[in-house]
Amino acid sequence: MIVVEHLAKQFAPPRRWLRPARSPVHAVVDVSFTAPDGHILGLLGPNGAGKTTSLRMLAGLIDPDAGRLSVDGVDVVSRPRDTMARMGVLSDARGLYPRLTARENIVYYGLLQGLPRDRAEARATDLARMLDLTALLDRRTEGFSQGERMKTALARALVHDPAHIVLDEPTNGLDVMATRALREALRHLATPAGGRKCIIFSTHIMQEVERLCDSVTIVSRGRTVATGTVASLLEATHQKDFEEAFVTLAFNETRRA
Amino acid sequence: MKAAWAVYCKEIVDALRDRRTLMVVLVSSVLLGPLVLIVLSGLLAQFETQAEKRVVVVSGIDHAPSLKNYFERQTYTVRTAPKDHEDLLRRSKLSEPVLVVPEGFEDALLHGDRPVLELVSDSGNRQAEVGAGRVRRLVEGFARERGALALALRGVAAEVLEPVEVVGRDLASQQSRAAQLTAMLPFFVLMAVLYGALNAALDTTAGERERGSLEPLVMTPVPRAALVAGKWVAVASVSTLIAVLSCLSFLPAQWLLQSDTLQATFQFGWLEAGLFIVTLVPLAFALSALLMALAIRCRTFKEAQAASSVLLLTVSMLPLVTLFNQEGEAPWHLWVPALAQQTVMSRVLKGEAVPPDMMAIPLAVCVLLSVAGVMSVARSLRGAAVR
Repeated sequence: MIVVEHLAKQFAPPRRWLRPARSPVHAVVDVSFTAPDGHILGLLGPNGAGKTTSLRMLAGLIDPDAGRLSVDGVDVVSRPRDTMARMGVLSDARGLYPRLTARENIVYYGLLQGLPRDRAEARATDLARMLDLTALLDRRTEGFSQGERMKTALARALVHDPAHIVLDEPTNGLDVMATRALREALRHLATPAGGRKCIIFSTHIMQEVERLCDSVTIVSRGRTVATGTVASLLEATHQKDFEEAFVTLAFNETRRA
Repeated sequence: MKAAWAVYCKEIVDALRDRRTLMVVLVSSVLLGPLVLIVLSGLLAQFETQAEKRVVVVSGIDHAPSLKNYFERQTYTVRTAPKDHEDLLRRSKLSEPVLVVPEGFEDALLHGDRPVLELVSDSGNRQAEVGAGRVRRLVEGFARERGALALALRGVAAEVLEPVEVVGRDLASQQSRAAQLTAMLPFFVLMAVLYGALNAALDTTAGERERGSLEPLVMTPVPRAALVAGKWVAVASVSTLIAVLSCLSFLPAQWLLQSDTLQATFQFGWLEAGLFIVTLVPLAFALSALLMALAIRCRTFKEAQAASSVLLLTVSMLPLVTLFNQEGEAPWHLWVPALAQQTVMSRVLKGEAVPPDMMAIPLAVCVLLSVAGVMSVARSLRGAAVR
């Protein structure tokens, strides 16, 4: 269970010499969302809406200016190590070590998450099977394609079998088949058989949300503008097409503001 | 602790797999030192034989039997100059100056006509120039002898002609000349420490940022101190490895030395190599920490290279203080990293004792620098992860 309430963050602009300081950038103004266990929450928003910043705060990478973040009731700001261990985060930056093999990349993170080596190796093999990565597992990641890198990074984020999975635009660079496979895998992870994981993922692609998410939170200009299932959002906006509903929700709000 | 060990192992594997960089470092800092030493020893050997060579090259010696007689009495071998000696000298093919004796020299000498001897050399030809002084002194000796004999025949004492006598006494022995050459040795090992650390230090900090792998790394529940400690010790280990290889490479190199005096004065055995390594290890750790602290503030590898060039330049220039500063060792030298190690190592090379405080002060300085560097890296790690 991940609960985020009234999150806010502004970034100070770089200081300039002998010139008036620019006003700070309000990356996140008021974002709230809740994702129970066994639930897939989509964080939908246009570019620059504050999705990545919100997820970085959830991952404990930057401290929020205001608001509350908790994972299973544990506060992220005061006990970041505990919450980090409970989450598998695939962040915006997903660099691999080019001179290590895919397996070594994954096992390294397993060790850092505190797994014993044999357990980490076994997890790497399992995840590779799930993500269709087995053939590449013992090759150096140097020459990997975008999608192959993505899968390796995803396996790395999931190596410690976390109860909470946070993915920042995970389908970037994946082809249709890989996207489908990833969707299947996520759906499976949310079921009781897959461990009833709590999954949050951010995206700007409508179809992703329509096909996968149990509920959607729409973020625009740093604010949560709507929350609900796809059906309820369609109903609320009197639209048949989800894209139209999204545009109405995301951009009318900003015009009003 | 376990996490720090995992980081350490990964960084070491990563650094050792970077074969191309490693080869460049090995060639530039491990092989270069011994190579330069061997080449210089060859040069020195050449100068030595030049100085010992008792040969004078003369054109037209048949015109001057008395001069020939004088040369032979001085145990010099007289060689006849080749016909095209001017051209050879100009092209540095002939390494001896040529004394040209004109026709009728002997007659002119007997009649007191001050015959002219030409000493042909080329100031662009260094070896011939060195020999020119020697030949000039030799001929002057001949002239002096003739004059003294002529005066003695007329009953005048030789002292009248030379009321003052100058005797030179050169304090610089050949040993000290050799020591000037071996003084470069600490410089090469210092460079090995630096270049050994450089790539690993930049790769584990700025390189991680550039690749985008630092952000996932700090999102693991590993304490930042453990991350930094693992990285730091790994970088220092690579640097130490290169330094050890560099020190050991001088052991076989000295068998190849051509100059006898250099070989006699260049005492570099296992003991010296060990003392060098003991001196260098703390420096390797301190420099690794400093390089990492510099590089973590840079977004890209390239930026970090530019930033670290300042540190590289400083460390390579510091030992030069001992060259320019003619006062010799000063107490403050021990407080400056790199300069302190240079001081200690040159003492080891000269075979002088190294008192414990000479080891302790640089060690303390290195520990302080390391702590400061590591803490600074740990502090800026999270901020650096978010680009």
